[in-house]
Amino acid sequence: MALPVLICDDSILARKQVRKSLPESFDAEFQTAGNGLEALAVLRSQEIGLVFLDLTMPELDGIGVLEAIKAEGIDCFVIVISADIQPEMQKRVMELGALAFVQKPVNEDKIIGVLKQYGFV
Amino acid sequence: MNKPGFSEEQRDCLQEIINVAMGLASDKLARFLNTFVHLQVPSIALVGAMHIPEEFENRYQDAEAALVSQGFFGNEGVRGEAIVLYQMENAHKISALLGYEAGDVSEIEMLTDISSILTTTFLNGLASQIENSLSYSAPRILSSRHGNVADVLKNTSFHWEHALKVDISYQLIDHSFNCDMILLIPGEAVSNIKNILDRILEAY
Repeated sequence: MALPVLICDDSILARKQVRKSLPESFDAEFQTAGNGLEALAVLRSQEIGLVFLDLTMPELDGIGVLEAIKAEGIDCFVIVISADIQPEMQKRVMELGALAFVQKPVNEDKIIGVLKQYGFV
Repeated sequence: MNKPGFSEEQRDCLQEIINVAMGLASDKLARFLNTFVHLQVPSIALVGAMHIPEEFENRYQDAEAALVSQGFFGNEGVRGEAIVLYQMENAHKISALLGYEAGDVSEIEMLTDISSILTTTFLNGLASQIENSLSYSAPRILSSRHGNVADVLKNTSFHWEHALKVDISYQLIDHSFNCDMILLIPGEAVSNIKNILDRILEAY
């Protein structure tokens, strides 16, 4: 069965880059969100298995989304894909429960290892 | 003649490339200052270079300001001059963080260093994503005391056709630090960047 996946990034290009980085064997049904608030609206109303989450976004940033997921006990996995590569930021997202941190710009090589490690492909 | 503006798709593409480049620059700056930098989405705009003095006149009118300029040169007509503008008040915050005294002679060197780190890391990040590589001239301070920012900008920008404004705002843990980065570029660089953006957009 296809996995419900949410791609959250304020950039259209970045959302396309995520889609293009995913292998064909990754069986998913995609939805997109342009900022953190849109992402939370989807996460609160639907079952989402996996979120690809940007950090630097208007309205609500990725940290805000991770905090809400944690606080509200929303059941989903999160892979953070960000340009904010400061070690402290990576540590923070992992502490907030993200599965992995992937540095932008994303490509198949960067993402496939993470998907394999957690059995998504 | 190409229109100077970007299409919405080109703008989104450039914005994302700039975000990635800014992420690299912020990481470098954070390491240099030994602090954490809150990254915000930089706003970008392409304007005629002749409008640059008036655009920045108000923001820097009453304050002591410093401008650090650095030339860059790449392939395929990508070249220009990067200017980082600070209000001295902001610069003093950074020097305090690094243990300098305000007005210290070496404060100017510190500003030059920080500007150069920001500019070269940012532009290298930008260039690698558009399959270019850049070399740089040495950074120089254009004005560091009460001067007329608009005049200095006028003298610098009049050689150029376009300016890509990148409004950078850094928040350090206990201080906020704002500066502006202006990339002055010739018309051919704009056409070239647009072609590259279209190529990237076609790939997705």
